[in-house]
Amino acid sequence: MIPSRRIVVTGLGAVSPLGLGAQATWEGARDGRGAIRPHHLDAGPHAPDTRDTPAATIEGDLLGYTEAALGRKIGASLDPFALMALGPAHEALAQAGLIGAEVLEDRTAAVLGHGFAGIHTLEVGYERFFGQKGTRMHPLTVPKVMVSAPVSAVAIEFKIRGPVFAVSSACASSGHAIAQGAGFIRSGECDVAVVGGSEAIVTPCCLRAWEGLQAMSPTTCRPFSTGRDGMAIGEGGAVMVLEALEHAQARGATILAELSGVGLSSDAYHWTQPSLEGAVKAMGRACEQADVLGGESVLISTHGTGTPLNDKNEAAAIRAVFGEGAQRHPVIATKSAHGHLIGAATALQGVIALIALREGLAPPILNMIEPDPECALDLVLGAARPIEAQAMLLNSFAFGGLNTALAFRLWR
Amino acid sequence: MANLREELIDLIAEEALIDKAKLVPGATLADLGLDSVGVVSVVFAVEEKYGVEIAEDAFKDVNDFGSFLAVLEGVVETKRAA
Repeated sequence: MIPSRRIVVTGLGAVSPLGLGAQATWEGARDGRGAIRPHHLDAGPHAPDTRDTPAATIEGDLLGYTEAALGRKIGASLDPFALMALGPAHEALAQAGLIGAEVLEDRTAAVLGHGFAGIHTLEVGYERFFGQKGTRMHPLTVPKVMVSAPVSAVAIEFKIRGPVFAVSSACASSGHAIAQGAGFIRSGECDVAVVGGSEAIVTPCCLRAWEGLQAMSPTTCRPFSTGRDGMAIGEGGAVMVLEALEHAQARGATILAELSGVGLSSDAYHWTQPSLEGAVKAMGRACEQADVLGGESVLISTHGTGTPLNDKNEAAAIRAVFGEGAQRHPVIATKSAHGHLIGAATALQGVIALIALREGLAPPILNMIEPDPECALDLVLGAARPIEAQAMLLNSFAFGGLNTALAFRLWR
Repeated sequence: MANLREELIDLIAEEALIDKAKLVPGATLADLGLDSVGVVSVVFAVEEKYGVEIAEDAFKDVNDFGSFLAVLEGVVETKRAA
């Protein structure tokens, strides 16, 4: 990173299967409350019989929570994936003290990542068209489905008038959103960036599509465990407020952490198989920029999907980057609790891991049978563990070979 | 009939996110912020709830809420009488 413009985090927000709000989400992860359970999704009379699928869904009143936060009715005007971005954006901006701030008028960017789009709306529309032979689609189908709907909703709600758009890179989407927002601040174009992502794809047809990929577990997500057999889909959204350090200091904002390294790479190799080189390149760049390879303890929030290939490759990449000191770093894998949020995964895991860093407590990896000897790392197991780490590495390795690694340092 | 009218007003308030107290006969659709997409959204919701089909040109001369509501009521009552 260009040292002249440092980037800090001043707000966090989340809604997830672990709870509504960043704190509730953190507490769920900390306390090892796994949210992955069998779901029976009824697609209606024109669909084939369905079967139970393990997934993690938001169980509280998301609409009520969001309407209460914003102080207005939303009704059915948004697809769930946009709703899952609005609440976290409000929470993060409120924590940063930026609701209604002048900087939103011009010098603020908003970039959100999503692997998919308004799948709930799309499936209902298709059922009406193909199943019921309805001649008309709901007039809001397009604005509810389009991948930029959540970030437009956020911009309209909070009057953010700088660069605003969505990015997509499958499971690394919100990692790229964070990187893009950081770029706007680093270049001097903006002082604040609202970044993160959301995903809502626990729908009957979309889950069948994921199963077709042979990457879904029939039971649950067991990162780095023997007997792991795939991922479980989750839903939710998470947002961070990034800010130029001098801007945050000038207005007396509470600084939570510094975004001190951004490593991006592409495997250019395979749709679903990861490459060691791509992961090492992204992690290595982030770690070098953040200067965390000098022997200090680093909390590693892994991509940790629970697929046989990802976890083995990621463990090898961590050992390659950190060398003989790899065992010194506590490793977490919170997808075992909240499922894989695909486009929102990086942002949600970032929110959880940043709170973990501040609390000095690493949340446990759930559903472990026993650690896979091929994934020999310092896995946090059983219960939350006190940690000394002052820095955190956040990994995401997407299908299609698109990688992000982000390094954060605690701000004291 | 009064029940149907109340039901429709509730549905419109919910669908178009308009304060129910503003849904009075003399209000213009423009005053209520009901643009063309808003009108079609309400029509869609009424069609779904009552299993009716409303012609696309049914509102071509409608400017005020009272007339708008009357068209919707008429379509639903016709269906019920059939």
